[in-house]
Amino acid sequence: MDVQADIRPTFATLKAGLDVRAGGRIVASCSEAFSTGFVTLDQALAGGFPRGLLATLEGPPSSGRTALLAGVLAQATRSGLAAIVDDGTLYPPDLERAGVRLDRVLIAQARTMLEISRCADILLRSRSFAVVAMPAAPLRATVWSRLCGLAQKSGTVLIALGTQAGTELAYFASTRVRCAIERVLWSGGSGVLCELDGYEVGAHVLKHRRAAPGAVARVRIARECNGAPLRGERAVAPAPRPLQVAQAVS
Amino acid sequence: MLLCVHLPAFGLAVARRENSAISPDEPAVLADKPDRGRVIELDPNARRLGARAGQTVLQARAAAGGVHVLVHDAAHSRAVWSDMLDALDAVSPLVDDSGEGTAYLEMRGVDGGEQTWIARAKRALHGFNLPVRVACGPNKFVARARTYAPDGCIERLPVEVLQIDPRAVERLHLLGVRTLDDLAKLPHGPFVRRFGKAAAQWHDWARGIDPAPLRPRAHEVQIDAAVYGEGTAAQEEQIFFALRILADRVCSDLQRAGRAATLVRTTFECENGDVREIETGFAQATAEPRTMLDVMRAKLEGTTFDSPVTGLRLQAMRLEEWGTPATLFGQHQADPQALAVALARLHAATGAVAQRARVRPAAQLEGRFFYSPFEVAACHPEVSRSARTRGADKGPAPQLRLLAVREIDVTMRGNAPATVGARAVLDCAGPWRVDDGWFESPVMRDEFDVLLDDGMLCRIYRQGEHWYLRGAYD
Repeated sequence: MDVQADIRPTFATLKAGLDVRAGGRIVASCSEAFSTGFVTLDQALAGGFPRGLLATLEGPPSSGRTALLAGVLAQATRSGLAAIVDDGTLYPPDLERAGVRLDRVLIAQARTMLEISRCADILLRSRSFAVVAMPAAPLRATVWSRLCGLAQKSGTVLIALGTQAGTELAYFASTRVRCAIERVLWSGGSGVLCELDGYEVGAHVLKHRRAAPGAVARVRIARECNGAPLRGERAVAPAPRPLQVAQAVS
Repeated sequence: MLLCVHLPAFGLAVARRENSAISPDEPAVLADKPDRGRVIELDPNARRLGARAGQTVLQARAAAGGVHVLVHDAAHSRAVWSDMLDALDAVSPLVDDSGEGTAYLEMRGVDGGEQTWIARAKRALHGFNLPVRVACGPNKFVARARTYAPDGCIERLPVEVLQIDPRAVERLHLLGVRTLDDLAKLPHGPFVRRFGKAAAQWHDWARGIDPAPLRPRAHEVQIDAAVYGEGTAAQEEQIFFALRILADRVCSDLQRAGRAATLVRTTFECENGDVREIETGFAQATAEPRTMLDVMRAKLEGTTFDSPVTGLRLQAMRLEEWGTPATLFGQHQADPQALAVALARLHAATGAVAQRARVRPAAQLEGRFFYSPFEVAACHPEVSRSARTRGADKGPAPQLRLLAVREIDVTMRGNAPATVGARAVLDCAGPWRVDDGWFESPVMRDEFDVLLDDGMLCRIYRQGEHWYLRGAYD
């Protein structure tokens, strides 16, 4: 009796169920992952942000988290609706430039913590949005718990943006990504001729409930003209921020 | 068979009725404003004296000495006309409101003959004390024209009865066409070629042809529910319990009528005789009891009454047609009903309507976008391929976050910033001159994108001698 021949189909089935996109690491198959719109980040997150769970994009101002969020929103608004709980810092023209369809983005203005939590609650309850983005306000654990429950019921990706996740948020978040700008890309000459072309964001997966954490992805956020980069590009490295390089994926 | 109720120069007739000092034979004109107004309606006597519609009041007075000038009260006229239409409901169940002063009634199946119907209509409008003309006809135009022809023959009526552009009437007169009979005798093709497309309709009318259908006016629906004489409610839970019952009843009626409310009025009657009315608006029309109750709860939060509530009334107002668009909902497509509920709840929670952003070209950063209310109807995902791939040509782009504008200390080296606050500038781009609003409030500033040594990448600008931080790239 050829045991190997018998178990071969079983292995084949198992292999098909595994997701090998995460750089060869074995992770749970996640068909419910929501693509971030960036290949390297999708690889680091084993397919993207998990649907129905809370994710955080953390980092100080000028860390590239909004650019990553714009990618997620662009994906979401291709076929559905997205919502943003805005604390007044949103700049829609850049979102549109990133491919976000603004007519499919609901913007709820909220200034206080209470308003932020209520808006997020209402948006999640409606079950109408693929992605809901909100500021990472220091809310109580019970509030995060409720929001997580609502996100799970509606299958919505709830993304909290902030400098640093508090203890409660860090506990309830299923995915935590820390962002930092590693390289700033300028184009043109100097002075008036110089233009901010974009930047490279290092995204460090601090926590992932469905895959191994610790992966790092480099995402290039740059204005491009018809798919070709602007000429005269030069890079300037700001203060060093230690980050591991993402594993190469064949 | 249609019955036409016609009041020529309705606004003037109403104004004349209110001003009893003017006798019916005296010439009068109706102006839109008391001073510097223009004549909008006039009676035949004033016309005979030389007054014309469109003249200023001064010109009308100069042209027709001794003419009375009355001022148009649009709200009053509308109210009178609405009352007249209500009175006409007693004559026929189908009343077509064709604007103030003209209504058509469908008389097929109504008991009696032409003379009986005319007498009934006149009797119904007798109390309004206005000069009403009533006549019957097979279609709208003939019915209206017959109000000017006591014998029922419209052939001899002047072409002015067509109510067309006076210049066209003048041209017809120059051609010797003075009556409908003259007009009807003209060959259709050449006449239309000479006077344009609209002339085809005039020619049809002159021959007694009018295909315009009767459009019965919609009757106003009043939906409300009340609880009185069932004890007193001194606690919040009791009031909300009663409100829940009323909301259920009202929404049930709304759904049955195919309507949804954008506003509800809640009337509280207290034991001490106080009556308080609270109006609650919804961002989107709703006929869902839960939504209605949630929004009302949010609105009533913090409201106190001096004594127990003895009576409660809930009235649905500003009714709109309700219905779910029949679309093939995909996996990612939102349910418009759920979305409408979310919008209403957001409105109640934040006091502001949920918005969508729109982009427009402008010199200043702040002017390059604006917000407008988020609409359920406008966000239906399109299924066309072009719509799906619309954003495909766009890619990742640096994202600016607008910060609260604050003044900063900047030192310059040459034409570029060297330090921002305590931070050194590693690299910068700019300046880009913004020169805007020269016609009202001039804004002239130089903007820079700077990279600081702590990794901050921000947009700053110089206005006059001062520097400001506008935003940070994130």
